[in-house]
Amino acid sequence: MNYSTKFSMLLALLFTTATAMAQFNVTGNVTDGSGEPLIGVSIIVKGSTTGTVSDFNGDFNLNVKGERAVLLFSYTGFASQEIEATPDNNRLNVILEEDIADLEEVVVTGLASGVKRSNLANNVSTISSQELTEVTTQQTIDGALYGKMTGVNIISSSGAPGGGIAMRLRGISSLSGNNQPLFIIDGVYISNAEIPSGLRFASGANSGSEENASNRLADLNPEDIESIEVLKGASAAAIYGTRANAGVVIITTKQGQAGKTKVRFEQDFGVNTIQRFVGRRQYTAAEVEEAFGPDERARFERAVADGEVFDYEQEIYGNDGFITDSRMSISGGNEKTTFYFNTSYRDEEGIIENTGFERFSMRLNVDHRISDRVRIGINSNYINSFASRSFTGNENEGGLSYGYNLAFTRDWVNLFPDELGNYPTNPNAAGNPIFVRDNTWNEERNNRFISGANMEVNLYQTDRTVFKLTGNVGIDFLMNETSVYVPETHQAQAGGTNGFIGEGRNGLINYNYQAFAVLDHYTESNINFNTQVGMTYLNFDRDLVLNRASQLIPGQTNLENAGAQQISQALATEEDFGIVAQEQINWDDKIIGTLGIRFDKSSLNGAPNEFFAFPRASLAVNVANFDFWSINSMNQFKLRVAYGETGSSASFGSLFTTLLPVNIGGQVGIRSGGSLGDPNLEPETSQELEFGADIGILNNKLNLGVTYYIRDVESLLYPFDIPSSTGWADESRNDFDLRNQGLELQLGFTPVNRDKFQWNSTVNYWYNRSEVTRLGVPPFVPTGVAFGLGLGTFFVEEGEPITQLKGNGAEGPETIGDVEPDFQLGWFNQIKIGNNIDFTFLTHWKEGGDVLNLSRLLTNLGGTTPEEYDDLVGFVEDASYFRLREVGLYYTLPKFSNTISRLRVGVSGRNLLTLTDYSSYDPEVSTKGTTGLSTGIEVTPFPSTRQAYFHVTAEF
Amino acid sequence: MKNINLIISTLCLLVLGACTIDEQFDPNAPSVSAILSEAEPNELDLLVYGAEARMRTAWDTYITSTGTVARELYLFDADPRNTEDLLGKEGRSLDNNTFYLTAPWGTRYQVVKNVNLLLEALPNSQGASEAELAGYRGYARTVKALMFLQELMRLNDNGIRVDVANPENLGPFVSKAEAFNEIFTLLDEAYEDLQNGEFHFQLTDGYGGGFETPEGYAEFNRAIAARAATYAEQYGNALSYLEDSFLDLDGDITVGPEMIFSTASGDVLNPVFKIPGQSGDQIIVHNSYIEDIREGDTRLSKFRPRVDATSQDGLNGTHETALYGSALDPIDIIRNEELILIYAEASIQEGNLDDAVTALNVIRNAHGLGDYDGDVNRDALIEEMLYNRRYSFWGEGHRMFDLRRYGLLNADNLPIDRPGDQVFQQFPIPLNENQ
Repeated sequence: MNYSTKFSMLLALLFTTATAMAQFNVTGNVTDGSGEPLIGVSIIVKGSTTGTVSDFNGDFNLNVKGERAVLLFSYTGFASQEIEATPDNNRLNVILEEDIADLEEVVVTGLASGVKRSNLANNVSTISSQELTEVTTQQTIDGALYGKMTGVNIISSSGAPGGGIAMRLRGISSLSGNNQPLFIIDGVYISNAEIPSGLRFASGANSGSEENASNRLADLNPEDIESIEVLKGASAAAIYGTRANAGVVIITTKQGQAGKTKVRFEQDFGVNTIQRFVGRRQYTAAEVEEAFGPDERARFERAVADGEVFDYEQEIYGNDGFITDSRMSISGGNEKTTFYFNTSYRDEEGIIENTGFERFSMRLNVDHRISDRVRIGINSNYINSFASRSFTGNENEGGLSYGYNLAFTRDWVNLFPDELGNYPTNPNAAGNPIFVRDNTWNEERNNRFISGANMEVNLYQTDRTVFKLTGNVGIDFLMNETSVYVPETHQAQAGGTNGFIGEGRNGLINYNYQAFAVLDHYTESNINFNTQVGMTYLNFDRDLVLNRASQLIPGQTNLENAGAQQISQALATEEDFGIVAQEQINWDDKIIGTLGIRFDKSSLNGAPNEFFAFPRASLAVNVANFDFWSINSMNQFKLRVAYGETGSSASFGSLFTTLLPVNIGGQVGIRSGGSLGDPNLEPETSQELEFGADIGILNNKLNLGVTYYIRDVESLLYPFDIPSSTGWADESRNDFDLRNQGLELQLGFTPVNRDKFQWNSTVNYWYNRSEVTRLGVPPFVPTGVAFGLGLGTFFVEEGEPITQLKGNGAEGPETIGDVEPDFQLGWFNQIKIGNNIDFTFLTHWKEGGDVLNLSRLLTNLGGTTPEEYDDLVGFVEDASYFRLREVGLYYTLPKFSNTISRLRVGVSGRNLLTLTDYSSYDPEVSTKGTTGLSTGIEVTPFPSTRQAYFHVTAEF
Repeated sequence: MKNINLIISTLCLLVLGACTIDEQFDPNAPSVSAILSEAEPNELDLLVYGAEARMRTAWDTYITSTGTVARELYLFDADPRNTEDLLGKEGRSLDNNTFYLTAPWGTRYQVVKNVNLLLEALPNSQGASEAELAGYRGYARTVKALMFLQELMRLNDNGIRVDVANPENLGPFVSKAEAFNEIFTLLDEAYEDLQNGEFHFQLTDGYGGGFETPEGYAEFNRAIAARAATYAEQYGNALSYLEDSFLDLDGDITVGPEMIFSTASGDVLNPVFKIPGQSGDQIIVHNSYIEDIREGDTRLSKFRPRVDATSQDGLNGTHETALYGSALDPIDIIRNEELILIYAEASIQEGNLDDAVTALNVIRNAHGLGDYDGDVNRDALIEEMLYNRRYSFWGEGHRMFDLRRYGLLNADNLPIDRPGDQVFQQFPIPLNENQ
């Protein structure tokens, strides 16, 4: 839930002044099913703003006007109840039942308000901290979401510790800009940048995206998170306007609760291992001769005689990486002030020696009521993270990427250092992977501070009306330092560039603020009008500096100790400003309608001060709440429809035609060859219509949500290769429309519900289909998404899916695959045995969707592909899989001490089992990083891992 | 409700007054529009240096793409297309959207764009004298002609574009003959301009030895014209262009302008240099060169024997390139040696066989071979001339065109390494030219 929004409601209600009329006093107590008091339960007189909350003992006391009143009891995680009170029946003892379908949860729909899930007109996926982190320990937040919600596709660009994850909500929404959603944590628009280290200047990779850097969401500690809401399309995200085309992910962190101070300590131990080895081709002497000639046969036979045939795949990827993760949190507070503090340290070693990830994180969230009418919240998070990722993925003759060079490395060549410590030159590839593992590095360190403050002022309040102002500011400061080192003794360096150092110093500052006025009014006839107007401002500033050195002084790793240095810098500032107005009308939870509009302007547009409008409208009808509804077993039947528009501006720099700097013999010059800018660019827009139904049966023990969406992205901005003879590379065009449509089903049920055995189960099923509906140019290969038609590439063509792969055929380009899955199905299960045992597992079935496996192209070329794949034709493979994604088994010890209130031990695992026909490491793969179309192309990635953990949790 | 009004008014004020976004400019680099209006000589010079720098880019691809087709060499690296497409393995054709075509094509035309911007900027520039303006024009047109010539030779009968000043309205692909006409026109106009021109810019050290002045550059211009005339098989014109070039039968055959490389920030290293003994990225000499070289020919030193013979994709080689000694070695754009061999070739074609023998002897003597003692007739001398061009310009981007000019670019004349390999005549028009 969104704590601040809900809490502000409560507070507004709490301090309502009751005037003298006919009134009576109601008192009582609220508990859960086991008799534990519930603190902070909202108790409202239905149809008014009069209300209170329960205290530490679950007690409440409320003055009610008139002769009778219906009191509404609501509390997060519990089903609400309505109870009639009269002067005669004014002592109420209420027991709240757990809310299985989370209908009471408040979902953020506007920038300053939320709505109960049961009244929601969109399919907004929400994931709680329980689902997020209680099954197994998560490495990164985005990686933790896959399979747990509909419409969310996740692709990993690297199996290296520290992530590298692409998240796609309801398909592709952009060719040029970012397909990653907007991430907002407690109101702060955070950076999810993927910052390349410049290793491409040593490895020869084609672009920064091929460096497979981690995306900076990896900095957030998943343990801090209370809930994640995913606004998947324009209909839900319209109020976020011009940055919401790829959806919005709203993250809410934990808050303290008034009452006894809770201290919680958690310790995990785990191990990283490779998911699977692809294997190496096994040769006989005769086969060696046939493939490589008689000289090679002699070498092979010599190696066999000396017992020097190795398995270099095992040698490089076979490390068992030890993981420790320690976390401590303290939370508590009183009626005025609550706090939540967490500090954590994770140290994860990778499956390649000398790779790993460390993250130190500290968070303090404080919430304080200055007065009856003013509340302020401050959330601060400092992170220091470090990753050592080494070299994987695509390269060109750099001799660094493990997989790339292993493809050409012959197992009968000894690459280990001799007794003097000299590494042999790899005679068959550009580099010796053993040398690279032992002597190079590719590291990044991040110092990051994310902080937000929010304030709510209750200006005016009567029985039926509340008027308040809300405001928040946020800042995300990230100092990212990258370091790459390749010694001058590396075989691709010696005698040429003679070593490489790359030192990046990258400063990213995001700040944002917003201010809203919210008017809440309840009419006599039980209609609630919620009106809000406000403004938002965003400023994203980047300064990326990369220092490179070559011609190194032997053994030196300092930039200065080099014969040649180069510096590059990329500056960018983006500013957005928006005005928002929204009206939400709720008639007695029966019919709920919303109208909203946002006007945005952005420095990324050609006309920076021109406003673009992004409207929305939605309607939800709770048929089961009408009086005529007679099917008692079906407690919820909701029909809903929502429409909205969002936008996305061109990426920074698209407005300009620039001349690029060059140097010859120390003389600087400028040259053409870049992009032809367009000073008149307008944002691309997305329009989405979503409709569906939610059904709850037997008090939601069985619940089903069905959603269908049609999302049209219009005037997609895309860089289009113009004839090279112009002297420029490409220009921005926008004569391109794309449609995504799909189905999302969520089924929750309780197969077994006994005292000693409870089993709750959720099934998520979804698919997406895309089609290019308009294209003003002939079919084309988008820039930088793959490696050309010769090897297979994405191909944009009217009437075809954006995700199709084409390759050269006898008569021009022919379809060779499609990376879009036919469907996906996630199955999440929580089983509680007795009072002590929790067993949870998540399986994920992805059906269909192809991957272009260019790793195998390389191993074929190098003669190292295992024999079992000799029959595969072409390089496109079906990437269907069934995976046991998460599984956890925990035992809570019976209480044995007064100091320790709860002690829990458990074991868990990630990706323990995968069933697939895919021939390489992992069918979830992307060699081109996380932006754009980049999924489903494999070039020798960092192999995916599986993890097994042992956990101890103690609460005091 | 007074409070509310006050608050709403404040909010409105905040909203309306808070944010005017400034007009945007590029914080990272200079813009085209600035160069085109009132540029001063110091700024115009930047376009010259940019052109000099950029013409080196993808030169390695130019060498290896044409060299592989002509069976001079193989590039053994991780890209299979270097040994598959370029040799026509198993029915493959040259792809019209792959780096071996597009990288040199694109960079040549980027240089053309640089000098076109220079030509466009000149009428609006400020502070340059008439002589300096003429100097810029002479430079710009010479470079443009050289770039056109390089790509025309690769695309051959497919033709090239010569009118590319306006990206919104490109001229058509013109025939080989028309392209040659344009090249000669540009070179002649440039030659005129250079007669009275002055250079405000300082050409690189690669033009040292006299080519950095308008007079010296004019000799370079005539040398390029002689090469173009040879490629166009206009041998009479070649001889007359040579007269005003730096051809010197008695001089150092290595003299000529060069592309230079350095480790300065933003500069590049010699891309055709390969680390001795390195695998995974190596230019391998076609074995026929080792088999065919004559006893005593010192040009054998361009090839370094490998410790172990190397093989990839069914191809073998015993030697790797030793053409350049280090990553800082310059690459000749054109040198006296080529002018002497052009002189020899044009003389043969024009029937001046004695002149041809004289010229061929200069080259033979320079490489450890004695005077020519074979038959003095047209066919014999052509064979001798081609032998010398073959070894004098190994790995310098001539062989494919020499073979084609004499009808030898075919499987009857060239070694076919793998059954089914093909010999291509020319490169296709790049896909993104939309032809």
